[in-house]
Amino acid sequence: MMNKEALVQVKNLKKYYQINRGIRQLFSEEKIYVKAIDDISFTINKGEILGLAGESGSGKTTTGEILVRLQDVTDGEVIFDGHDFMYETREEEKEFRKEIQMVFQDPYETLNPRFTIFETIAEPLKIYGMKDKDEIYRRVLEVLQIAELRPAEQYIFRYPHELSGGQRQRVAIARGIVLEPKFLVADEPVSMLDVSIRADILNLLKDLRDKMGLTMLYVSHDLSTIRYLCDRIAIMYLGKIVEIGDVDKVISNPQHPYTQVLLSSVPVADPDYRRESIEIDDELPDQINLPEGCRFEPRCPYATEECKKCDHTLIEREEGQWSGCIYSAEDLPSGK
Amino acid sequence: MSLLEVNNLSIDYITGEGTLRAVDDVSFSLEQGESLGLVGESGCGKTTLAKSMMRLLPDNGFIKAGEIIFKGDDIVKKDKEGIRKLRLRDIAMISQSAMNSLNPVHTVGDQLVEGIRAHSNATKAEARKRAEEVFEIIGLEAKRLNSYPHQMSGGMKQRAIIAMALSLNPSLIIADEPTTALDVVVQDKILKKITEIQEHIKSSMIFITHDISVVSELCESIIVMYAGRVMEKAKTEVFFKTPFHPYSLGLKNAFPSILDIGEELISIPGAPPNLMEEQVGCRFKARCPYRTERCQKDEPQLKQVEEGHFMACHYPERIGEFTEKASKRETWEAVRERLIDEGGDGI
Repeated sequence: MMNKEALVQVKNLKKYYQINRGIRQLFSEEKIYVKAIDDISFTINKGEILGLAGESGSGKTTTGEILVRLQDVTDGEVIFDGHDFMYETREEEKEFRKEIQMVFQDPYETLNPRFTIFETIAEPLKIYGMKDKDEIYRRVLEVLQIAELRPAEQYIFRYPHELSGGQRQRVAIARGIVLEPKFLVADEPVSMLDVSIRADILNLLKDLRDKMGLTMLYVSHDLSTIRYLCDRIAIMYLGKIVEIGDVDKVISNPQHPYTQVLLSSVPVADPDYRRESIEIDDELPDQINLPEGCRFEPRCPYATEECKKCDHTLIEREEGQWSGCIYSAEDLPSGK
Repeated sequence: MSLLEVNNLSIDYITGEGTLRAVDDVSFSLEQGESLGLVGESGCGKTTLAKSMMRLLPDNGFIKAGEIIFKGDDIVKKDKEGIRKLRLRDIAMISQSAMNSLNPVHTVGDQLVEGIRAHSNATKAEARKRAEEVFEIIGLEAKRLNSYPHQMSGGMKQRAIIAMALSLNPSLIIADEPTTALDVVVQDKILKKITEIQEHIKSSMIFITHDISVVSELCESIIVMYAGRVMEKAKTEVFFKTPFHPYSLGLKNAFPSILDIGEELISIPGAPPNLMEEQVGCRFKARCPYRTERCQKDEPQLKQVEEGHFMACHYPERIGEFTEKASKRETWEAVRERLIDEGGDGI
């Protein structure tokens, strides 16, 4: 990216959920937590799209939700455009909310069924004080055009049930960009859509970055779409970032054993390609009693005694590619 | 003789707003041991087709015409008892949400034993032994038979369902998106297991999915469905190198790959037709860049274009030209403009 200025800085972010184990716990001093996010740090530069990948339970969705402050943090800082917003008051929060928007996975559930498309998109404008009716109408038409719902007049007074899944997701994106935010979190925006129209949504997100300079966090379990859309990728595993770096580097030369396993499991639509998947145990460890040291150690084919001391510190293995494994990809030990 | 022959099958759903023609005049056959991938967008009729083979259609679904010949007998004509005998023992189904169909108040083992005994003459002890065997084959410990569903992870439950489906060595396995809800690492392992067992017991498989890369890895042949009809059928390796039908060409452009090909992805503009309405001409005509007058009026029939490769398009001789144009963005953008000009939705 030409512009290396940071827009979002996440520092030592933690999110623990306390769980209630029934009456016995009332008499116990000990509190039990699920560590959904456990001390992660990363930066998203202006105009960059960062992909956040991982299996269910890795903490990727929680991270996205914290960045739009749908959830509070347990500890750590999120610095957006120079200031820490996690502990701001509601008034201050309203200002920043304008700058950060989110697009959700399910376009069937995130639009109000009783609102027309116009009302859906005009609502944020009204909340942020736009009163002139003509101005609102013009702006709504404009964003519908940007979201490629054209001619916009054809869509503006429809209700969500009169739209296809792809069209609904475009409406959700139009609503997301109507306030001209600086940052967009998109959580699995194409996973509910049919393959034949997914590409359009991915291309639209790409265009928003290229033309409006919108910075994005793209959360997905689908590594193929991340490779297509994103500049950098972060791989999460049980609340930790295990690898982060340039998307092409990470996918063509993964450093962390978990990244290697994940990539080797993705099916490829090429009958000539012989995929060798790395065999591991497919059950995740208990999220409450996490393993000591490296969290991937119990399943890792290369694990050694040393791994029990691993604290997931990210080490730069290639230029711009950081791995949380104590070994580099070249000298992974032969394992247990 | 083929294991399964579907001839001119049509299936309707009666709804409050009219009749929906979900599957229309579909024919194909499946050999012993063959694995067939069935792909298409949501609403194209692939799940309806699968359910009809076990006569599991919902109450408002009817087989309007055609036959499903399985081992020489027509499934369509069978009575309740005849179908019951077929299920699990001869034809087994693994569906997407199957893991949620386990009964929460019984152990998984009891449910397996019950299934085995209902469809075979096994005694309780024999059934229990068989359950232990299939659990081992699928990669679950035998002691897991004593678990209740809530004590198992999603991957384990889906494995248990697969074990149940395969417990009586069925001749035909119908797998409807069996791993869609699972993570990629688990998906990969389970898919491997399914094919391993399918090859081991020499059964045939119909694998339904929207993920064409899974078909590429698992199946010998592929059927592409669109709006209730078969558009193309071919050997997998042929299909992935040289798809013929304009819809298949469009799908290929739209599919991202983990191996960077550096190519821009292109969607197919428009949406499938409303199957509540009478269909005239080719079903893909609204979204097809190459449509002609003829496509508006005549419905193309599935025809053999080369050895073992079938397609439903009027213009097999223009495949070269279609393939070349299909990789260009302008080709599909022109369709979008055409859709908008005609007063429809461009996307």
